[in-house]
Amino acid sequence: MRTKVTRTFPEMALERILGALEHELITAADQEILEAAEDLGMKPRMKGSAAFLGLRYPQQHRPGEFFDAQWMLAVLNDPRRVWLATEAPSRKPATTPDTPPQTSSRSKRPSRPPKESGES
Amino acid sequence: MRSLADHRILRPAETALALELVTEMDLLRLKTIARLHARGLPPDVGWEDLLQEAITRVLTGARHTPDGVPLVAFLAGVMRSLKSEHWRRVRAATRSRVAGARDPRTFPGPEAALLEAAPDPERSLIAIEQLKAIEQLFAGDSQVLGIIDGLGAGLTADQIRSRLALSKTDYDSARKRMRRCLLREGLTCGPK
Repeated sequence: MRTKVTRTFPEMALERILGALEHELITAADQEILEAAEDLGMKPRMKGSAAFLGLRYPQQHRPGEFFDAQWMLAVLNDPRRVWLATEAPSRKPATTPDTPPQTSSRSKRPSRPPKESGES
Repeated sequence: MRSLADHRILRPAETALALELVTEMDLLRLKTIARLHARGLPPDVGWEDLLQEAITRVLTGARHTPDGVPLVAFLAGVMRSLKSEHWRRVRAATRSRVAGARDPRTFPGPEAALLEAAPDPERSLIAIEQLKAIEQLFAGDSQVLGIIDGLGAGLTADQIRSRLALSKTDYDSARKRMRRCLLREGLTCGPK
């Protein structure tokens, strides 16, 4: 005799679980929310609390919130900006504490040999 | 340079708060629900979009709150419906791509009907990943995992209790731990 196979599709199981979890969150008491926020070091009663990120103020500031779109396009397409981005890093060597600071380029030169007597 | 960010314009959530449609605690509750529903959605659809869009639809009157239904529960339902709407659009786009690739004269009606009824492999895969993520969230708590498993199978609270041999007190305390974990996860500022 063939046994009855009950198969739950993952989408269906997920929807059921999300529905049940959603109900749990809807019925969560204010005190539970405050305690969970405190676990994360948040103080929702304070003004500007991180708990309200994405609710009362954006979670991530996008350039478009501050700058005009046309201006941004002009800046991004500016060839001078591209040149600046591709500029090679400066070749100035990093100074280490062990190496003594060089005062001038003359100090690098080897000392001259003494003049001979016959030389004018 | 003129900034486009006009701080005199309130965000939908702030507007709902200013109109006293919701409280601050309700907003936090809604944030955790939005983060729960945004799981599995593509990165360009964030929990913020889901929540602010749901609130906007209520504020503009596109969705009417039925009498006797708390606004938080209604907004949660709107978010769920927005998510379903997204998946319907994805399925429709996939179908039109497949239909465009095939000649309709070669594959007439029955073929199209089969395509319609076929489960969406992308959505199944995402669902499996999300189920694993939920299991990881409650990893180490066998009672909560048992309850989650029962919920996924469509069991009632009594059936789950008898299956796991839990007393009512144990069941309620496991649910409390589950809520605490969900709230912590939902209130965090990290990615979804």
